[in-house]
Amino acid sequence: MTVKIEVIQGGVPHNTILVKGLVASLVFIYLTYLNTLLPAGSPPYFAFFGGLAAVAALWWGSHTIKHLCSYGIGTGVPSAGMMSFGSGVIAMLLATQFGVGAPIVAVVLAAVIGAILGFVANNVLGMKIPVMIQSIIEMAIIGALVLMGLAALMTGGFTFQSLVTGASLPLAGILNVPNYMGSVIGGCLLAVAFMLGGIAIQHPFNACLGPNWTQDRMLILALECGFLSMLMAAIMSIGLIDTGAALISVIIAFLGWIYTYDLFFKLAKRDAAAWLDSKPIPEVEGH
Amino acid sequence: MADIPLVFEIGITAMAGALATIAGAAEDVESDIGSQGDPNSQVQLAPQMGYIHRIFNKAIAGEPPAWGLWITLGAGLAWAFMAMSMNPILAIILGCGITTFVQGVYSTTAYLGRTASLAKFGQPVYIDILKSMTTVTMAHAFVAIFATVSMCFLINTALGHPFPLPLLGLVWGIALGAAGSATGNPYYGKERQYQTQKFGAGVPIAASGNIVRYAEAGERNSLDNGFFTAKLAGPASGVCFGLIVFLEIWRTILFEPIGAGWGAIVVGVIMIIIFAAIDRYIEVWARKNYGPYTAPVAEASS
Repeated sequence: MTVKIEVIQGGVPHNTILVKGLVASLVFIYLTYLNTLLPAGSPPYFAFFGGLAAVAALWWGSHTIKHLCSYGIGTGVPSAGMMSFGSGVIAMLLATQFGVGAPIVAVVLAAVIGAILGFVANNVLGMKIPVMIQSIIEMAIIGALVLMGLAALMTGGFTFQSLVTGASLPLAGILNVPNYMGSVIGGCLLAVAFMLGGIAIQHPFNACLGPNWTQDRMLILALECGFLSMLMAAIMSIGLIDTGAALISVIIAFLGWIYTYDLFFKLAKRDAAAWLDSKPIPEVEGH
Repeated sequence: MADIPLVFEIGITAMAGALATIAGAAEDVESDIGSQGDPNSQVQLAPQMGYIHRIFNKAIAGEPPAWGLWITLGAGLAWAFMAMSMNPILAIILGCGITTFVQGVYSTTAYLGRTASLAKFGQPVYIDILKSMTTVTMAHAFVAIFATVSMCFLINTALGHPFPLPLLGLVWGIALGAAGSATGNPYYGKERQYQTQKFGAGVPIAASGNIVRYAEAGERNSLDNGFFTAKLAGPASGVCFGLIVFLEIWRTILFEPIGAGWGAIVVGVIMIIIFAAIDRYIEVWARKNYGPYTAPVAEASS
């Protein structure tokens, strides 16, 4: 029942993107661990690497969605993003218990969860899509890595302790909440990270689908969405970590976003049929 | 919630309902101008059938996920600003302003990406559409986001709801998107896009993609659609979302003390049954009055 209607013509092969995205994301998450090597009490200046990890994973994720949805799953594009993060958040939260091994554990756990979900989708629900299991495994891993990256960006660390340690909370006076609720998990900033990633992962393919889809344009859009999500998480991190460290993240995210946004406009102009300003509908034969 | 006077709670309930009504109306007009939600399929299809148009095509996701993001992000940013000891009103305004910027960025990339991918069919990118319509959707989005985040803040602070602000934003954001998508969008998708079709004719395959592209004078753009849907579709979505919010909080504050919370659940179930009965009555009434779909032969002459 499923017919592959679009093939990836030319461009970078999917497996190359997979390897690059996975390695870059893991390396960037581990670079946030440098924060623990700073002298005690100094601000987490390396938190911004968490955001870059999220960007790398989203870049890979947009291509995974393209890979999966080229089997005629048109309206399933946004749902694929949600499912990616829904399975990823379980793996990510459990993995934070494992201290320094957390990112690796997250990848393994997410792969297991993804394999189960993919098996159910293909064999129990009978979708019978050849790349289904592999794609869902990839997407669960991406969801876990993006959430872990954004959490590391907002707190400076990826262990459970850093996720439940709150800001010093003037908030408690305004919002009548207990003290631990000023943290990423207690304040549910993780929900914001979930939505920031869930929309950013599906938007590049959802926005670029069509007969004139081009790989480079979609991947640049993926980077743009990633930097935009990173920028928002960085702004929220000002409330949680030292302002100086948070501002480094804000500046890096903003520069990355403005560069990729500009580049996306250029690529859209390159691919568009015409680039008109205040012009009427062109006459088409037969209508 | 026992220590809060009941009159105060009812007042907050009414105010939250009013905010939700404004949010629902603004949300629906925003999505109609951007052709988000189910009318989008026809806007996307039109160039492929040879109907080049000047309609804004802003498909970010389905409305519920997209609005889930806007409201959650607005609430999260407001929460973070409050954690920086900012005044709550200022924090909510700033958070919603930044979120509106994100909505605008997503709108532009969605339009450019979709349109550039339709190059094969000769659909041009109209920069004037991008310039004039993105700003209008951003304005509507700001109203909707601000009203909903304020409503969440009231629920959290004044009524003492245990959920943190961003989580309330996620719940109510998805509900807002669903209300607007289900109530207001069909009016744009079925009535406005197919004004040239006979009333009640449905959309036969031959008419797919043949959306109305020309206005009373000149060519139609999405601002005309916003003007059209602001009259009925927007307010209808507003009433829908306002009722959802009002009845939800109303049943909670009045009946929660009964049976350790079970009172509110029972009343909720009774309300669902009452609404199902009303819906069924309206459906039967409409079928009786506007008839079953009889013999398509009668339309063959056109």
